[in-house]
Amino acid sequence: MTRRLPQAPVLDAHGHIGTWPDFLIPDPSAEGLVATMDRVGVTAMGVSHLLAVGPDAGRGNRLAMETAARFPGRFGVWQVYNPHHRTPLVSDGVWGVKLHPDVHQCPLDDPRYEPVWRLGLPVLAHGQTDSPWSDPARFAAVAARHPDVPLLMGHTGLWPYGFDRAARLAAGHPNLHLEVCGSRMTGRWIARLAATIGAERVLFGSDACFLDLRTGYGRVALAPLTEADRALIQGGNLARLLGPRLLGPRLHGPRLHGPRLLGPASESPRP
Amino acid sequence: MPKSVVDAHRLIGPVPFDDLPADPRPEMDRLGIDRACVTHTLSLYSDPREGNDALLRLDDPRLVPVPVVVPGVPGASAPSTPAEVLDWGVPMVRLCPERHRFDLTGPVALRWLAELDLPVAIDLDETSPARLRTLAERLPGLRILLLNPGYRRLRALAELMAEAPRVWVEIGTVNTQRGVEWLAERFGAGRLVFGTGAPVADDCGPRFLLDHLDLTPAEIELIAAGSLGRLL
Repeated sequence: MTRRLPQAPVLDAHGHIGTWPDFLIPDPSAEGLVATMDRVGVTAMGVSHLLAVGPDAGRGNRLAMETAARFPGRFGVWQVYNPHHRTPLVSDGVWGVKLHPDVHQCPLDDPRYEPVWRLGLPVLAHGQTDSPWSDPARFAAVAARHPDVPLLMGHTGLWPYGFDRAARLAAGHPNLHLEVCGSRMTGRWIARLAATIGAERVLFGSDACFLDLRTGYGRVALAPLTEADRALIQGGNLARLLGPRLLGPRLHGPRLHGPRLLGPASESPRP
Repeated sequence: MPKSVVDAHRLIGPVPFDDLPADPRPEMDRLGIDRACVTHTLSLYSDPREGNDALLRLDDPRLVPVPVVVPGVPGASAPSTPAEVLDWGVPMVRLCPERHRFDLTGPVALRWLAELDLPVAIDLDETSPARLRTLAERLPGLRILLLNPGYRRLRALAELMAEAPRVWVEIGTVNTQRGVEWLAERFGAGRLVFGTGAPVADDCGPRFLLDHLDLTPAEIELIAAGSLGRLL
């Protein structure tokens, strides 16, 4: 009963490729991700390379771009900005910018991120309740300061005790969205978040390959949601948010009508 | 799609830190879970005796009672003796050495477990791979179901499974990309058990994962219900 394939494009807002030092990822490859995406009907995934989240954002970003080029239409790139290294950023051919305030030990509302906000692209940032770097209150502060920048709160703050507060903090900032990947997230909580802030502000992310794509997508696919809300969360909202940026140079509109048309078919790192 | 799905790890009753469904059956119905091993939340978050009493009053063949046992010297244990546990007629008991502050490999616990000769379910957050390895060495016949192993300790988990052949692992939180297949390739699907930890932990993702594992139908049947059947 759980093998229902989605009819509309499924867009994963939060993915990774590569390895991470904390633990063993049995399959960190892009090939493995695409095979799993085909298996469950995920159309495309936004990825940052874990090398870029770690010590070398420049090289990691290049690897992410190369991966996206190898699998046209399957990966969008979140280019990582390291505020200490002042990583060069591009404005074309990417979904946006990925920030990891905890790994980089630089608070989300720190002025060193100004080049990111000036760029104006969508931003996905690791969010972690009670973290000195990425507490949801810092997202609310940045969202108020930059109301034209779409900002995705990664993991909705990660810890279940903070989910409700994260939704309330985001509610007053239309440019701030809740992305729901993470090992502590539940299908039940996704439905509660949609009820609290509105399904149009909740976005599916898996954190694969850091986490298993099937478990992450399954939380949305089987959450107690209306089908209209599920469609928004699992792809509609991100498509709206990214606009033409979603298509990228190698995708064309008609190919996005459903996952099968595209082929045969972190918790991001915590310090 | 497995013919039968049994959740080896579910809770029944209220929790103090959230507003969660106290009765697991509606969600089991919605997600296609036929049966579940259940522990009462009172046993975890209040009085083990009271929780076990409530659990043992359940009369539903879909819910397999897994009461909590606290080994201890007279006056410190729950229940009073191992014989009382055996009178319950349950297929498995749960141990919470961290929560209930007893020594899992101390002489009292080892005596109780030897006398019970029942499978035990233990959350990895309640112990450590090293302690479980010691337990398995001291009681080589003991069947251990490791709950909530998580995804960050896959290397230590694999070492434990390699050294302790009577350790089974719940897959609900084996949540890194292809982690379940990685364990199945090394130790066989017969050592892996579907379980969720719901409603505190998620049941939607693990249930979906079960239907989309990159394993043979026979292996998926084992994980869905067969492995637990053999364990019990």
